[in-house]
Amino acid sequence: MNTFKKMVAALLVVSSSAIPLTAHAQSGSPVALSGDVMAVETSVDDAGNTSTQLVEPGVIVPGDRLVFGTDYANSGDEPVENFVVTNPLPSAVRLAPDADPELTVSIDGGETWGTISSLSAVTIADEDGAMRPVTNADVTHVRWTLASIAPGESGRLEYPAIIR
Amino acid sequence: MDTQNIKNSLFAVSVVTVFTLSAPAYADGVSAGTLIENTATATYEDGDGPQTVDSNTVVVRVDELLDVTVTSLDGGPIGAAPGEAILTYEVTNQGNGPEAYELTANPAVAGNDFDTVIVNIAVDTNGNGTYDAGVDEILTAPETTQVLEADEALTVFVIVTVPDGVTDGQASDVELTAEAATGTGAPGTVFAGQGVDGGDAIVGTTGADDSATGSLIVGITTVDLTKSVSVLDPFGGDSAVPGSIATFTIVATVSGSGSVDDLIVTDAIPEGTTYSDETITLDGGSLTDVSGDDAGEGSDSSGISVDLGTVAGGTVRTVTFDVTID
Repeated sequence: MNTFKKMVAALLVVSSSAIPLTAHAQSGSPVALSGDVMAVETSVDDAGNTSTQLVEPGVIVPGDRLVFGTDYANSGDEPVENFVVTNPLPSAVRLAPDADPELTVSIDGGETWGTISSLSAVTIADEDGAMRPVTNADVTHVRWTLASIAPGESGRLEYPAIIR
Repeated sequence: MDTQNIKNSLFAVSVVTVFTLSAPAYADGVSAGTLIENTATATYEDGDGPQTVDSNTVVVRVDELLDVTVTSLDGGPIGAAPGEAILTYEVTNQGNGPEAYELTANPAVAGNDFDTVIVNIAVDTNGNGTYDAGVDEILTAPETTQVLEADEALTVFVIVTVPDGVTDGQASDVELTAEAATGTGAPGTVFAGQGVDGGDAIVGTTGADDSATGSLIVGITTVDLTKSVSVLDPFGGDSAVPGSIATFTIVATVSGSGSVDDLIVTDAIPEGTTYSDETITLDGGSLTDVSGDDAGEGSDSSGISVDLGTVAGGTVRTVTFDVTID
């Protein structure tokens, strides 16, 4: 078994040098995370219908919408368990208001966690000391939890953000 | 593993907690040149125990948004007369990066009763909101402001000359336009590589230019004084004999659409007469001779004086006082 693992690891090193952006396996880790960012471009057709496309970020200014994505893959030969991906939000962006309500988030730097839909019950003090309801703009971290990833399984995690 | 109950109880606890916001506040957008860096971290368990792995870090640089607003700081039309007049505007960098603005003043606005002549555009160097000749910097062509930081506002003065021959009540507008030095255009226009740190600059919703109009209204105000006298002799007649009382009436008529400041009516006591103490009236009301307690003061040696202060056009004020013929 151990020999086989090393072979897989060696193969990974070769493949990661070919596509350096998509594979970032740390030595010995059977799980690879690959981050990317796309800009959301909204266009209006002749009939006045709006549609959105994900494009490579070009000119990016406040108010623009981005989608941060993380691809994960288990290239090992054993399942991994309790797979938790934590993503601190860059301070220059806020979580988009239409993010998945079941997304697990933190508003206090990763101390406590809950779903977005549970945030409506929470209030915080604003700059003036007045209490106000929490919004997605207060989210500091997002987190995804997968019970297990089978060998060879891969997937993608995304969150939408708006530049402050 | 069911973590839902734990999560819910954690949030119940956090309801009573006062959080301090850790994210910096961005009043009007992230500064141009800011690098947005995103990294995800995974923890998991495999046969060898708990493991941690980081993703690569993706980086996006925030580009420079070009936006500007111009507003008039004059509360309404500025009263003006032939000669110099000052209009005050504010130019605000609504973008997210440092930018200078080219200024243009246009005196020929449609609908003007007359056009002024632009003398100079100046900036409020000492920041007191009032044009100070010799202190506030006069811009030379092409009139361009210093670089304004994001959200910074600059007070700008347009100095104009009101031509001779204008008449009372005529109005004139002066339009000040500010254009981003990097460039202007339809929203979305990109100036590649001309933003902060070599990033791009992009025209925002204002088109990277804006204008505002300041107004002048000619207020030519005149003051006419008319003096008359009536005499009452000791015998009930109107003969000017020793002991007769002469009542002088001074009518001040202020005409025009503007107003006059510090209007003071004074009169000396004629030779051969003596001032009758405490006889000054203003519009029928008595004033004392003492200085400072009301608008009037009077004495035989100094004569009488009534301070009318600021008087608007269309106002008539009447002052009377008595003397006794010696």
